[in-house]
Amino acid sequence: MAIELFRIDDRLIHGQVVVGWGQPLDLAFIVLVDDEVANSEWEQELYRMGVPPEMDVHFHTVDDAAAKLAVYQRDERRGALLTGDIGTMTRLIELTGSITRVNLGGIHHRIGRTQRLRYVFLAPDEEQALRALASRGVDVSAQDVPAARPLALNEVLSGEGNR
Amino acid sequence: MTDFAQLLPLAMLGAVLGLDVVSFPQAMISRPIVAATAAATLLGDPGRGLLVGATLEMFALETLPFGASRYPEWGSAAVVGGSLYAIHGDTNPGGLTVAVLAGLACAWIGSWSMVQLRKLNAALARRRHDAVASGSKRVVEGLQVFGLTADLLRGGILTAVILAVFMPLHRYVLGNWHSDARVSRAVVVGVAASVAGAAVWKAVHAAPRARWLMLAGLVVGLALLAFR
Amino acid sequence: MTSQVEIPVRTRLAMFVRLLAIQGAWNYETMLGNGVGFCVEPALRLLPGGQDGPAYRAALARQSQYFNAHPYMAAVAVGALARAELQGEDAAKIERFRTALCGPLGSVGDRLVWATWLPACSIVALAAFGFGVGTAGVLLVFLGIYNAGHLALRAWGLSAGLDHGMRVASALGGPILRRGPTHIAQAAALIGGIALPLALDQVIGPGRALFGIVLGAVALGGFVLARLHGRAEGWKIAVVLLVLFVLYSVAR
Repeated sequence: MAIELFRIDDRLIHGQVVVGWGQPLDLAFIVLVDDEVANSEWEQELYRMGVPPEMDVHFHTVDDAAAKLAVYQRDERRGALLTGDIGTMTRLIELTGSITRVNLGGIHHRIGRTQRLRYVFLAPDEEQALRALASRGVDVSAQDVPAARPLALNEVLSGEGNR
Repeated sequence: MTDFAQLLPLAMLGAVLGLDVVSFPQAMISRPIVAATAAATLLGDPGRGLLVGATLEMFALETLPFGASRYPEWGSAAVVGGSLYAIHGDTNPGGLTVAVLAGLACAWIGSWSMVQLRKLNAALARRRHDAVASGSKRVVEGLQVFGLTADLLRGGILTAVILAVFMPLHRYVLGNWHSDARVSRAVVVGVAASVAGAAVWKAVHAAPRARWLMLAGLVVGLALLAFR
Repeated sequence: MTSQVEIPVRTRLAMFVRLLAIQGAWNYETMLGNGVGFCVEPALRLLPGGQDGPAYRAALARQSQYFNAHPYMAAVAVGALARAELQGEDAAKIERFRTALCGPLGSVGDRLVWATWLPACSIVALAAFGFGVGTAGVLLVFLGIYNAGHLALRAWGLSAGLDHGMRVASALGGPILRRGPTHIAQAAALIGGIALPLALDQVIGPGRALFGIVLGAVALGGFVLARLHGRAEGWKIAVVLLVLFVLYSVAR
């Protein structure tokens, strides 16, 4: 079964992930990869509150996650891996080389970012990073919830998604 | 038999109930079972409103408002559905079917209108960004009041326009309706109940024992019907 | 490090009323952000320097940036952030706390309210309708039950936030928030099972044969739609079917 969803979402654990994806995919665990959260007790405590009691959540730094990814991939249950930004996911992909598909789930407004979709705002260097991922064969697409149509990276960058 | 004297109170109701969906106060007076009944009550026929409302409510069970994904706007939609059925539905065999379909169409158009409003709110917030970043009370409160007012107008205009367009269309369709009354009702509520059944299943299936509880409920429900 | 802060009842009330309109300026860029600023504002007037002082302006600016959460559960954030500001916590720490609140409050609220409490109340209303309860009764049952939970949640959230400040995570671990969704879902499953055939019968009216056919069709349709879970929205398929039926009824 293993990890079914590799998602970049600056809200990390929230309703779209836990309910929106969690219910149809029957997610049993979440791997949250973020260097700062992995070192912060109170943030972990908060994120744990957002997860149903029957769902496991594991916090890792990028290095930790890279080392343990193979174990999670052998898990019999289904899981999702979350990062809060593109940089974290890129580093994880570079370290492991085994992630073939990345979901853009929510990268929100910040100064310097341009709107590409309702839920995707990107700065120029972030676009560059996503293009680089795609050119090394990673399938990058945007999809907030399962019922929405996934949009390929070039559709996202041309802004022709759901404007 | 309808004119603008009827349209105005309905538009005002659509405005208030459209506002409830997201902006204020989210007390779910915008749910179809409430909104359609309220609209039909204005026209003197609450019972018919409840019938449309319950049917639309079954559809609404499926579309729960999650995060930023787009979802139907039921408040104004149910006002349209409820009033169409109360106005033209009386004895017509297709009355319920067409009123429900009109409500569904309006829910979809309403969701589009909400997206437009959110873009307008974003544009305004962007323009006022510097004032917000300097902590201006007037601007923060102003943005909030603007959004609320615009949403109120949105629901009102939406309800009025859709009713004005759908009333003649509705009359035409019903004037040429050739299906049997009970079959017409059965089709629309059958479709609604299929959606509702799947929606309840989706909402509960992850909880332990919920599948069996739902099955047990169905058995009890059918038994009650058999002995009614 | 944490000084005691007193928040007058008048201020709490003003915040509670404003919370009902927290999504008033909702948009895809700052989402609930402006609303959080709007709701925290009455508390910020208590900062040293008062309304429009430098502390007030800095705090209001901070609180009006991007924020996203469930609208009811945002009450927790509004309370906790107001307390953090009044205690004079470090700005960077408040911002990090604010960011970390979004996801969990969204998740808890979505699970508790949108995914279970709302559909459960809706099902109870359909059950009342199915049992033949009158119009006023159905509305009273639905609005009464739903809003008892709704208003209690907002009021609890605000006071939990105001009481616990940056240590509010502990308050989110309460049994209602953690286990509530599971129990509500179980109740909804049972009542939903009872309600659907009764409501169906109520709309169709008397006649066994037709009801039997419809029930079979609903079972099949519901099964297919449940299998399509996550891939297609049932109500869109329903619209297509209804349009076809209307065309057939008019054209034949």
